[in-house]
Amino acid sequence: MAILDAIDGFRVMEALLLLTVFTGLVGLLLRRSLFLKVMGMDVMGTGVIAFFVLVAARSGFRTPILDGTDAVLGGQGWADPIPQAVILTAVVIGLSIQALLLVAITRLASVDPSLDGSQLDQLGRD
Amino acid sequence: MSPLSLVSWTPSGSLLTIAWLLLPFLAAFLAALLPRLARLLILSVVATTLAMALAAWLGWLPSELLLLGPLGVRLQLDPLAAPLLLLAALVSAAVLLEGWGRDPDKPFLLLLLLLQGGIDSAIVASDLISIYVAQEVVGISTFLLLVRGNRAPQLWIGLRYLLLGNSVMLLYLLGAALVYREQSSFALDGLDQSSGIALALLLVALFTKAEVFISGLWLPRTNAVAPAAVSALISGGVVCAGLAPLLRIAAAVESVCPLFRWIGLASALLGLIFALAERRVARLLAWSTISQMGMVLLVPAAGGLYALAHGLAKAALFLVSERLPAVSLDGWSAQALPWRHWAPLLLASLSIAGAPPLLGFLAKEQLNMALAGPGGGLQAVAVLPGAIVFLSVGTAAVYARLWRLPCNAAKAEEGQPASPGALLLVAALLLLNLTPWALEAWRTLMDQGITQALLKSAGLVLAGAGLQRLWPRGADGFGLPDLEGFDDLLGGAVLVGAALMLLLGQ
Repeated sequence: MAILDAIDGFRVMEALLLLTVFTGLVGLLLRRSLFLKVMGMDVMGTGVIAFFVLVAARSGFRTPILDGTDAVLGGQGWADPIPQAVILTAVVIGLSIQALLLVAITRLASVDPSLDGSQLDQLGRD
Repeated sequence: MSPLSLVSWTPSGSLLTIAWLLLPFLAAFLAALLPRLARLLILSVVATTLAMALAAWLGWLPSELLLLGPLGVRLQLDPLAAPLLLLAALVSAAVLLEGWGRDPDKPFLLLLLLLQGGIDSAIVASDLISIYVAQEVVGISTFLLLVRGNRAPQLWIGLRYLLLGNSVMLLYLLGAALVYREQSSFALDGLDQSSGIALALLLVALFTKAEVFISGLWLPRTNAVAPAAVSALISGGVVCAGLAPLLRIAAAVESVCPLFRWIGLASALLGLIFALAERRVARLLAWSTISQMGMVLLVPAAGGLYALAHGLAKAALFLVSERLPAVSLDGWSAQALPWRHWAPLLLASLSIAGAPPLLGFLAKEQLNMALAGPGGGLQAVAVLPGAIVFLSVGTAAVYARLWRLPCNAAKAEEGQPASPGALLLVAALLLLNLTPWALEAWRTLMDQGITQALLKSAGLVLAGAGLQRLWPRGADGFGLPDLEGFDDLLGGAVLVGAALMLLLGQ
C-alpha cells in the first residue's frame, strides 16, 4: 500500500473540489437552458464552499470550541475557524441570489417556456 | 497628516466610519416603514458620503481601520477612495433630483439607498471578503433596479447581469480561498506574494464588475434596456464598486501594472471601435464607458480623478438623452434641440473628450503626466504615445456626433423640461475645478506649460470633430461581430480568466 500512503489526501480532495467548480463552469457555459445554467452556477458554488471548508481543515479537524477540559490552547488539530466563518456569508448570499434568479426565470418562462438562452437573447436586442 | 486631523487613531474615528457605512442600510429600513421620509433620508446619506469623501481627501479620519483583529474587516478611507465616493454620491443626488417633481417611486428610492450603501462599502473595503460582500450587495441592488419594470426584456437583462456577476464572484471566492491557503490572511497587502492563479481569479471578477474589456460586454444591452436613471447609476456608481478594488490591487501589487496597462489599452480600443460604429445613443454611451474604463486602468494611480470626471459626465449624458425625442443618432441631426438639453449635452460630452476648462481636461492631463512620469510606462511601451493620441481623437470623434445637433432657441417651449440631475452633474464638472486638489493640479499644469496642453487638447478635439465629418455615413456597424449574447458574455469572462491565468501563472 505504498502508493496510497504516498498520495496526499488533501491534494486529492483539493483536485476533486476544483474539478467540481470546473464542472459547474462547463455546465454554465454549455447548457442551453437557463434553468440548467443556474444549476451549473450552483454546482460551482458548492465546489467553492467545500473548498473553503477544506482550507479550514488544513490544520486539523477538531472544532475550535473550548469546552473547559482543554487546558492547553496550543494543542494540535484545531480546525481554522476563519474560512468557515467567512464562507457562511457566501452561503447565505449564494442562496438569496439563487432565489432571485429562479423568480426571474419563473417570470421569463411565460415568454419562452423552453428557457433557451439564445432565444431570450432576442429580448435585449432592440 | 494635515494639521486638521482632529480625529486621529481614536475609537471615535472608527465609530464615525462604521456609523456612516451603516446609515444607508438603516435608512433603507426606515424608508420602508416611512416612505414619506425616503427622499430626506437619501439626501442625508448623500450628504454624509460627500462629507466622508472630503474627510478622506483631507486625511481627517484614520485612513486604515482594522476591525475585529488582524484577520478581520479592513477598511481604507484614503485619498484613493475620495474621488470615487464623491462620484457615487453626486450621481445618486442627481438621480434623486431627477425624480423630485414626480410622485415618489418608493421601491426605487429604497433600492437607491441600498445601492449607495453597497457602493460606499465596496469603495472603502480593503480585504478580500469585505470586497466580496459589498460587490454582492451592489449586484443584488442593481439587479432589482434593472428588473423593476417587470417587462420581459428588463427581466432578461437583469437576470443576465446577476447570473454573470454571481458566477464571476464565485471565481473570485475561489481566488480568495487560494490566497488564504497561501497567506493565512485575506488582506490585500499579501497579494503580491500569492500565486498568479489566485490573482487571475480575483481580477477576472473585478474586470467584469468594472466594465473592462470583453468581460464588460454586458454593458451595452443593459444600458439600452435600462431606464436612464439606472443607466446613470450603473456608469457612475456601480462601476466605482468594481474599480476601487482594482485600483487597490494595483497599488498593492506592483507587478500587475503592466498587465493593467495592456488590458486597459485593449479595452479602450475595443470600446472606441464599437462606439464609432454604433447608431443608438444609449449603446454608444455604453461602448464609450468600456473604452474610458480602459483609460482608467492605464495608470491606476491617476485613475480616481479620471473615473470621477468620466462618471459625472456619462451620468449627465444618460439623464439628458432620456429627454431627447429619438433613440437613434441618425434622426438627430434633423431635429433642433432647445438650449436646456443642448447645453448639458455639449458640456458633458466635451468634458469626456477632454476640452478645457472642464474636469475631463484636468483628468486627461493628469493621466498624461502620470504616464510620462516614472513608472508610467510611456518609455516602456513604444506604441503608447501614439495609441493615446489615437484614443483621444477617436473619443472626440464619438462625441462629435452629439455636437452635430443644431440648437434652436425658438423651440424653448417644446419638449420636456430641463433635466435637473444633469444640470447638477454638469455644474459639478465645472465647480470641482475650484476645489483645492483641482487647483493644485492646475498649478502643476501651469508650471509645466499650460499653453501647450491647451493647444494640444484643442487640436485633439478638432481632429476628432474633423474625423467624424469624414466618417462614412450609412455604413451599418462595419460588419463588427455581435458579441453580446449571453453565451458570449460567459465565454468572454472565461476567456479573460484563462488569459490572465496564463499571463500571471508564470
